[in-house]
Amino acid sequence: MKPANNNEVDLLLRALARERTGAAWRSGSDGGDAEGISSDHLDADELNSYAEGLAPAAARARYIEHLAECAACRGIVVGLTQAAGVATRLEDPAQTRGAGFWKRLSEFLSPKVLGYAIPALVLTAVIGIGFIALKQRQGSQFVAQNERRSETPPAAQHQTDSGLSSAAQPQPSVQNGTQSGRIAEVPKERTALEDEKLQAGQGSGKSDASVAKIAPSKDAGQADVGSVVESRPYAPEPKAAEAPPPAPVINPEKSAELAKERSEKREDQPRDQNEEFRVQTDDVHGPNRSRSNTAQAATQRGAGIMAGRGPSADKNKKGADVETRSVMGRHFTREGDAWVDTAYEYSQATVRVARGSDQFRALVADEPAIRTIAAQLNGVVIVVWKNRAYRIQ
Amino acid sequence: MNSTGGLIDSPVSQRIDQIGKLFVEGAARLLGRATDNHGLTAETLIPRVKSAVDKYILRGDPQASAEVIQDFIDKLQADDLCLILACEQGNQKAWTDLVERFSATVRSAARSASSNEDGADDLAQSIWAELHGLRVREDGKPAGKLAYYSGRGSLAGWLRAVVAQLAIDQHRKQSRLVQTEEDADFDRIIQQGQEETSWSGHGASPNPELQISAKLAGAQMQKALAESVKQMQAEDRLLVKLYYFDGLRLREAGAVLGVHEATASRRLTRIHTELRQQVEKLLIEQEGWTQSETARAFSEVALNLETDIEPLLATEPVLMKKENEVAG
Repeated sequence: MKPANNNEVDLLLRALARERTGAAWRSGSDGGDAEGISSDHLDADELNSYAEGLAPAAARARYIEHLAECAACRGIVVGLTQAAGVATRLEDPAQTRGAGFWKRLSEFLSPKVLGYAIPALVLTAVIGIGFIALKQRQGSQFVAQNERRSETPPAAQHQTDSGLSSAAQPQPSVQNGTQSGRIAEVPKERTALEDEKLQAGQGSGKSDASVAKIAPSKDAGQADVGSVVESRPYAPEPKAAEAPPPAPVINPEKSAELAKERSEKREDQPRDQNEEFRVQTDDVHGPNRSRSNTAQAATQRGAGIMAGRGPSADKNKKGADVETRSVMGRHFTREGDAWVDTAYEYSQATVRVARGSDQFRALVADEPAIRTIAAQLNGVVIVVWKNRAYRIQ
Repeated sequence: MNSTGGLIDSPVSQRIDQIGKLFVEGAARLLGRATDNHGLTAETLIPRVKSAVDKYILRGDPQASAEVIQDFIDKLQADDLCLILACEQGNQKAWTDLVERFSATVRSAARSASSNEDGADDLAQSIWAELHGLRVREDGKPAGKLAYYSGRGSLAGWLRAVVAQLAIDQHRKQSRLVQTEEDADFDRIIQQGQEETSWSGHGASPNPELQISAKLAGAQMQKALAESVKQMQAEDRLLVKLYYFDGLRLREAGAVLGVHEATASRRLTRIHTELRQQVEKLLIEQEGWTQSETARAFSEVALNLETDIEPLLATEPVLMKKENEVAG
């Protein structure tokens, strides 16, 4: 059927309604359609049970028959439905939960849907496997880089170690340079490192490659701490000036022993010290952050504390800053402009109620607690009350 | 053999026994569910439970299963029903509780049903009198509307419905008085409105023959459409009445039917299609029209209605104004 044809019927129905409305005004029925309908209206209990969707199927069918002919009862039901806040009620739960489940399942498993779903699943699986493989390759690159690093001549290693003066100490990586002071220092130090390498007869290209390849290893996490310790000399050292005097030449074996000793030492450190540092690193920003650049902080960083920085750290901080309120025993969190009941689930259907509307007055008349909640919380409020979610705006 | 009557247990008597047992057990469970039973006993509840089951279940399905009946009883509003029964029993504390808890609801409903604050106050006051009962029953207790609350829906909703019904009754009584004075005027306005809103092609061709022909076609189509609407399924007919006759939005009409707005919209589209087919069928079978004549008549009548929509709408404020005056 074309839309134009529907429009014709629509217009004809409107005209029919106008003619009948005048005739029905005094009778309370729908004019000429009311044959056989006595003045036996639905009683208040029946009207209410229908409006609240609680009438059993057989009774509901009877009521619909009556309502289709009786304008008076229909008017009451419309008012009750709106007052009960059923305006946004979704489909009949019996339909969606009972037999509807199998219907939806069969629709879900229909060949038409599967025709799209299977390729989509395969594509998702391929992307997932590819992503995992990529991650693993990144890890293997890191290992390969470490091995190459160990192949550098001892002389060169000595030069770089002594030049950085803190080779044996686990130092923060380039990522630690989120501290503003350090970021400024990095290019300068890198240049110094390159100069030293040139003096030592090493190709600057190699040292560049080493520095560049260290960067991915910073994300490797706590498990790679030992490896990071070994590769530190290639990382720019932000605080070279404050570091202790150059350590004596450390051969690889000694270096490994030292790293082991340090990691044991880290484990022995009291937890509260860790927490103290964590608080400090979370709270201190800008210039004050240079204070956290102590040897202890450096070792803690190796334990993955700095992994909490960046977006995830911001997220955590944001989570801690979530604004909450408790009104009438309900707990609300601020989400944008809205106060959302913690008991609210986003899959839950909401009844929209405008402040000051008849529906709102009806609601707060029935549930005075909601009035208090709406009065104490400004803006949009989503509250779950008696297993029903209301969106007050 | 039956030990009491000496008769063999028939299926009917077994059924009666079974249902009776369900009532007794259901009433006990209902009482147990209530947070405040107001000192009621299960025996007090049984007649009300039985009445509710008869009304909602057994009237529509006399052979309803025990599970259905049990489920129905277990979904009755225990607290509300106990409160109402206690009020009926003359429990003053329960009555105070009822008034305290629901006076805001009654007032809100009265305000919605009345055109002014004074009317709302009067209506709200008269509701409590109606509930309590001005007359006295044979057993000496007041014969109020409380006896009609089954506990199926919420008490607040039931009170709203009672208020709305009372408001309509009062409105009818008042309008009957006013009508005697203004009946002639009002009928004249309606008649005038009907003539003006006639969809038989007014303002179309000045040719009298064509005008008569169009008028006849319009009248036949009107009759066929009214007949088709009457033949529709009740739920579809209700949707048409809510949307076209009562002027509800699709969202509101859908809510009355318990469906989403989108579902109501789809249904309405289907109804349009079915109605057109049915009208065409009736015109062809009963009036001897051809297929092309029906198609042309649809277009012409719809075109006339569309072009004359302004004068059609212009009559409505007159009617509404008059209606409001009558309603006071």
